[in-house]
Amino acid sequence: MIAIQTSSLSKIYSSGKKKINALNELSLNVPAGTIFGLLGPNGAGKTTLIKILLGITYPTFGSAKILDTDISDYSIKQKVGYLPENHKYPPYLNAVEVLSFFGKLSGVDGIKLTKKIDELLETVKLTERKKSKVKTYSKGMMQRLGLAQALINDPELIFLDEPTDGVDPIGRKEIRDVLVDLRNQSKTIFLNSHLLSEVEMITDRVGILNKGKLLREGSVKELTEKKEEYKIRLNSDSADLTKFASSETSIYKNSDGTFTIKVDNVSSLNKLIDKIRNESILVQEIILQKSTLEEMFISVINEAEGADKK
Amino acid sequence: MKNIWIITLFTLREAMARKVFLFFAGISALVLICSILIFSFVDTDSFNSMMMHSNEKMMMRDLVTGIEMLIVNPLSGLCLLLAIFASASFVPNMLEKGNIDLLLSKPISRNQLLLGKYFGGLLVVFLNIFFLVVGVWLIISFKFSYWDFSFLSVILIVTFTFAVLYSAIVFFGVISRSSIPGMMVAYFIFIILSPVLLLYKDKLKPVISGDLLKTVLDGIYFIIPKTAELMGEITLKLASGRSVDNYQPVLTSLLFLIFMLGISIFIFRKKDF
Repeated sequence: MIAIQTSSLSKIYSSGKKKINALNELSLNVPAGTIFGLLGPNGAGKTTLIKILLGITYPTFGSAKILDTDISDYSIKQKVGYLPENHKYPPYLNAVEVLSFFGKLSGVDGIKLTKKIDELLETVKLTERKKSKVKTYSKGMMQRLGLAQALINDPELIFLDEPTDGVDPIGRKEIRDVLVDLRNQSKTIFLNSHLLSEVEMITDRVGILNKGKLLREGSVKELTEKKEEYKIRLNSDSADLTKFASSETSIYKNSDGTFTIKVDNVSSLNKLIDKIRNESILVQEIILQKSTLEEMFISVINEAEGADKK
Repeated sequence: MKNIWIITLFTLREAMARKVFLFFAGISALVLICSILIFSFVDTDSFNSMMMHSNEKMMMRDLVTGIEMLIVNPLSGLCLLLAIFASASFVPNMLEKGNIDLLLSKPISRNQLLLGKYFGGLLVVFLNIFFLVVGVWLIISFKFSYWDFSFLSVILIVTFTFAVLYSAIVFFGVISRSSIPGMMVAYFIFIILSPVLLLYKDKLKPVISGDLLKTVLDGIYFIIPKTAELMGEITLKLASGRSVDNYQPVLTSLLFLIFMLGISIFIFRKKDF
């Protein structure tokens, strides 16, 4: 099942004579039961996409469905949770009142709501402060309350916009654990975050958005693999592979005794292995090299910016 | 309907936190206590028997209504002034970034959201006026042993007057996301424009010579809600159980309310947040 489906979704903001393409014909499918991370620099259109999917902003053209229902049908939001980037709760309410209000609006009430509030406050570790006014809460506590608010209706699909913003490292780990637990319950999580290391740790699939365009989309593994770069570990430290370097193969010796090999394609790699084996050198390990999500992200954005300048 | 009720109650909670309405409830309570004390020193028994025997029930009604209106009239005006001030920020607060995003992410339509805010404002004013009017009515009625339910209609007419002004506040709140324009317009209508237009209609019209000016002023008179008439002549007549000869001020004010609320909902439905 596809939890989020967009087709040529576009949003153009007009500011005087200037038109800004916040989303540019975005087509995206997010499978149900996965954690999807949307990455992009500030102003890439990440929040605009979430707002359109939730009916907070209207698309200029294109269409979208969440949980197989057109986004214009607001009743589907009974199955959706949302934590906005800069959420604001009435300062005169306490945590229980905030959750009670948003729970009732989401269609939960009675004993079920009371139980859910207690359970969620325990999960986000706010039980001890549940009767304090939210105006006395720190940024991290507000984020944790926001997460509880997003989960109050036991949603199937959860949108989180910078959920760990302002949260300390221990709190971040706890939020990550909650998200992984939700995925294990087959919930779909759509995550906007600047913290790439965090996204890398928990997401199943990632999309990279820049200037409203989806530049890349795939699993973290697919996106971070360097397809033409390998590390070779030999059985002997004395063997030197640099002599096999050619126009289609570059070879560098690393300080740990391994060799980094860059080839044009897999057949070049195999040719090189044949040469090594012909010299009776024993290969212990061949490892496909990976970049971090951050490296990949920066390279994709730079590539796109370069292409735009041309 | 359930969603509208949730937002209505939530707006009531917001109003309580604002303290202005509690301040007004405090003033009302103080006035009621003072009334009880003052009337405990007034001997009405001989007065009552005199009135009953002389078949002057009409005079009794006028006297009781007169005393009731003497207390309620200035306080209901004050209630409206405070209510405009306190309720002007209900819609702009709702439209603040971070707040509206959350509300619209819930399974509630935009119509329900705005109507909930509107009815919430009305409920706050209704409860305040209800407390004051019913309190005054009980004290005076007990004292004079004269029970005239017509006076309770003041609750409805004051709430209706506020409903009309609040529709303009909601409209300006939706388009400007600020409380100031709506508040200024409501005060301008309530304190200046409506009384001036009533003065024009009752006294100045015959002395104005220009036909064009008269047409323009007549047009404005019919468009602008007639809060001066609603809070004046119509309230007095309804409170004293007399019939109202001309419902035009009520109807044109109701049309203003429907138009303002309709256009506010239309704009709110189209807005990006």
